[in-house]
Amino acid sequence: MNGTRPIIEISNVYKFYGQLQALNDITLTINAGEKVVIIGPSGSGKSTLLRSINRLETIDSGSIVVNGQDIYAPGNDINIIRQELGMVFQSFNLFPHKTVLGNLIMAPMKLKKVPKLEAKKLALNLLDKVGIRDKAGVYPSMLSGGQQQRVAIARALAMNPKIMLFDEPTSALDPEMIGEVLDVMVTLAREGMTMVVVTHEMGFAREVADRIIFMDYGQIVEQGTPDHFFNHPEHPRTQKFLSQIL
Amino acid sequence: MTQNAANKIVKIDIGDGAAIPCKKDSGLFTAWWITLIGAIFFITYLCVVEPDPYWRILTFLPDGVLVTFQVTIFSILLSLVLGLITGLGRLSRNRVFNLIASTYVEVIRGIPLLVQLFYIYYALGRISLFQNLPPLAAAVVAMGICYGAYMGEVFRAGIQSIDKGQTEAARSLGFSRAQTMILVILPQAWRTILPPVGNEFIALLKDSSLVSILAVSDLLRRGREFASESFLYFEAYTMVALVYLVITLFLSKAVSKMEQRLSYYERD
Repeated sequence: MNGTRPIIEISNVYKFYGQLQALNDITLTINAGEKVVIIGPSGSGKSTLLRSINRLETIDSGSIVVNGQDIYAPGNDINIIRQELGMVFQSFNLFPHKTVLGNLIMAPMKLKKVPKLEAKKLALNLLDKVGIRDKAGVYPSMLSGGQQQRVAIARALAMNPKIMLFDEPTSALDPEMIGEVLDVMVTLAREGMTMVVVTHEMGFAREVADRIIFMDYGQIVEQGTPDHFFNHPEHPRTQKFLSQIL
Repeated sequence: MTQNAANKIVKIDIGDGAAIPCKKDSGLFTAWWITLIGAIFFITYLCVVEPDPYWRILTFLPDGVLVTFQVTIFSILLSLVLGLITGLGRLSRNRVFNLIASTYVEVIRGIPLLVQLFYIYYALGRISLFQNLPPLAAAVVAMGICYGAYMGEVFRAGIQSIDKGQTEAARSLGFSRAQTMILVILPQAWRTILPPVGNEFIALLKDSSLVSILAVSDLLRRGREFASESFLYFEAYTMVALVYLVITLFLSKAVSKMEQRLSYYERD
């Protein structure tokens, strides 16, 4: 294990959508190498919290420090900080005008000035890892949802991030494709990647998570190990949520 | 039912460009073929049966066709540059840039093209730097400024048609706003933008006949010159109309071909 060095520090974060309080005094520290799974009913603010870690959502007050850098500090370039934060979306968001390989080499070549040959080699290795090297020359529209999501994971990994954020990565997939994406995520977790995952896949949470966070109404209601969470939930709202989904 | 109706995208074309042939009606007897064959048949028939005025008119016009194309191509290039800047301005968070772009569009859209042409032409004449500008260049500037506003709206709509997830994916990788626009959004928006740009191109070619009032010897003006010498007004304008028709028919076909080739990555 990577010890207990904090890599994401979220302190007293508030966010409002008009009258609606999306995030209500969130304080959370995530350590390097830790796998955190965030669950909760829809509208509970879990995606908003995840997206605010790389500033896709701006917060109204509080602070977020990633890898020692305050993401709102004027001197810090968010574009540099984001290179350390891989993100995987529910709707894949692959670039349709680029081939699979093109999707993977674009960011390393343009942002890190990696030479093309080297970027291609790295990309092919990553495609091997997610099990679709044979699709390197194909456009995303020719791939199934599960394949697209695996390419999206590989694309994020191509920047060699320290942290991976997953925003409901399997919610848009047909049931038979969920497994292939979760397998890739499990492999990634075993390799020691720091992961923050918003998901409804309780099996994945139970197997992979070091810590499960339950959110409701923009607040962290309860957090703990999978054992604590699934077998001895303390808060009534957690108990109610679990009774509804399990 | 209602949800189904809401999901259906209704495309309403309000441009006055020639109808771009859709690839679905690629049969032999489409309106496009009938019009083209009709026009060419008509030209040939007139030149064979009555070569005296008609063949003479036809050989008198090519210089004008060349000028019409020059005006159209240079104007469209200028309007594309202005349109891109205007479209980006209309979407910009920078209040000043946004306001300038929006005002430009608002002003241009509110004044008839012919009035703008006169105005810009004579306004340019008042600025000493442009006093010796040839009529052709002045006409191009005027047409470019006019069409730039319309093109700006085309660019804006095209950029907005790209899913927000594309921007989020690019930004989350670490691309800046500008890089995201250049590497991810514009290469995709181009597909949406091209058909209306093609339409604007055809519309501009037709509207370029207006520059004949600015001492530019385009297709229409050549016809008028012929007519005023020979007093054969009907014959001259018949040929001018047919030549315009043939040109726009070919252009609309070219645009539809380009459109098909640009949709290569969405074969699902």
